[in-house]
Amino acid sequence: MAYDARPEGPLGGARDVAPPALRVAGVSKTFRPRDGRDPFTALSDVSLDVSDNTFVSILGPSGCGKTTLLRMMNGLLAPDNGEVLLGGKPPRPGPDVGFVFQSFRLLPWRTIRGNVELGLEETGLSRAERRERALRYLALVGLSRFAESYPHELSGGMKQRVALARALAPEPSVLLMDEPFASLDAQTRELMQMELLRLWERRRGVVVFVTHSVDEAIVLSDRIVLMRSHPGRIAEVLDVDLPRPRWDTDVHTRREFVELRHYLWEQIKAMVLASAEPGLFGSGDAPG
Amino acid sequence: MPDGATRQSSAARALLPAGLKAAPVWLWRLVVLAALLLLWWAVAVFVGRNFVPTPQATALAALRLIENGTLPNATAQSLAVFFTGYGLAAAVAIPLGLLMGGFRPLGATLDVFVNALAATPRVAFIPLIIVFLGLGFEAKVTIIFLGAVMPILINTYTGVLSSDGELVEMARSTGAGDLAIFRKIMLPGSLRSIVAGLRLGAGIGLISTVVAELYTSVRGLGGLLATYGNTFQMDNYFVVVLAFAAIGALVTQGLRMAESRMDRWQYQEERAS
Ligand SMILES: Nc1ncnc2c1ncn2[C@@H]1O[C@H](COP(=O)(O)OP(=O)(O)OP(=O)(O)O)[C@@H](O)[C@H]1O
Ligand SMILES: [Mg+2]
Repeated sequence: MAYDARPEGPLGGARDVAPPALRVAGVSKTFRPRDGRDPFTALSDVSLDVSDNTFVSILGPSGCGKTTLLRMMNGLLAPDNGEVLLGGKPPRPGPDVGFVFQSFRLLPWRTIRGNVELGLEETGLSRAERRERALRYLALVGLSRFAESYPHELSGGMKQRVALARALAPEPSVLLMDEPFASLDAQTRELMQMELLRLWERRRGVVVFVTHSVDEAIVLSDRIVLMRSHPGRIAEVLDVDLPRPRWDTDVHTRREFVELRHYLWEQIKAMVLASAEPGLFGSGDAPG
Repeated sequence: MPDGATRQSSAARALLPAGLKAAPVWLWRLVVLAALLLLWWAVAVFVGRNFVPTPQATALAALRLIENGTLPNATAQSLAVFFTGYGLAAAVAIPLGLLMGGFRPLGATLDVFVNALAATPRVAFIPLIIVFLGLGFEAKVTIIFLGAVMPILINTYTGVLSSDGELVEMARSTGAGDLAIFRKIMLPGSLRSIVAGLRLGAGIGLISTVVAELYTSVRGLGGLLATYGNTFQMDNYFVVVLAFAAIGALVTQGLRMAESRMDRWQYQEERAS
């Protein structure tokens, strides 16, 4: 990663190396509670470049700042230090960056179609175009039949697919996904992974995918960003050398998969043990 | 505020034997009505002497008062002041509450005063109102307005304030600006709270109607109440009391119907919380 960190100036476009689609450079974030409790450093000096058409997963223990990093990538949150650049510009929330949240976040008073249309209401599309687009993406996630239903009539997996359709419908160039499948059962989860891969092969772009699942990260990604906590920072970036497309074959048995999985498990286990309270996992008794 | 009556009744039904479960709510309401009438009758016959008229006597009085136009006229007068005052209260309180909730500095500035005013007994203003507005229609409307405005205002304000931060962030991520977020997330999210405020305001507004008609020029149903009460025409007096109860039930029922139209999407929220 030999990018020089020359800031984008008026001449920034004239560089011979294409700038990365997404650049995170030296980003830090400290939350300062108003009531005088100690400030908490959620992220410290995080740098990451993602080139176009790349699927990146972020893996790391709970509380290491994954959501915080994602929120900075679409401009919902500003970094204290450093900068985030999307296509060379600071990100602004909008239809060019899709966000799938850790919870579904559907509007209970809108139909499923209305919920998907919400993602399109800042795009300048006409009402008829929004409707048509929403229906198209609902078909893509297999929910055409439920277009006029309300969120409470859907199962958890279906709601997550609505949230996915809402994020995809504006056809963003960057898709940020925060543990989108965490609340799904194992089968639905695997189906959704394959669904996502199928959609992504069709229309690529940058995907940043936060997950707690090592398997999920390997199956989906080109690169895996491993984070550690206290303070949140990047521990390691790994490339995944599995052939694509991966949705029509089972990659779980391939040697590369098994080795990478084993390696990541070891790393995460070490992190968890290092930060565990004494007594938990029996580490209190361990010698040394 | 959840729709207590229907949900409680469905909970109660779950405890009843299967045969009774099938009975609809209106049937139970009729049973309770019959029990109340029986109780009333018993009190009238065994305790009341001349102070509590029997149901029959009250019914006859009602027919008489309807026939000679007294009751319809008084009701029309009362409803006119009630709906004017209540309508004005809603027309002021809802926009103001929305503004206070949507524009935080305004809300933070005003809410102390709103709470102070809400805690002041509204009867305290009546002499002042009479001095400025006299004893007529305007004075009455003002009294009702002052009664109904606070619960609607406070409920609207807190409804907007308690809007779901996660949904707001989600809308922001789509690129929605403050105004769009207010319109698409905060406003629909506070609808239920607003309707609850309207219901509370209607109750207080009706009580204020009686108060207004007793303290200012004696007219309307409240006026009849005063006249019949002072002259011990207890059968007529009871007719007026029942008329008030009926109006209260009708207005509340109307608002409850508005609430249940929203139930399609709210049912699940309540189960979840
Ligand atoms: N708005 C905030 N105010 C104060 N502290 C915050 C805020 N947002 C996040 N934090 C803190 O920053 C740290 C990182 O939070 P973040 O939500 O990014 O973690 P995460 O990696 O997404 O965790 P998880 O895997 O559990 O979702 C946490 O310790 C959290 O308490
Ligand atoms: Mg998170």
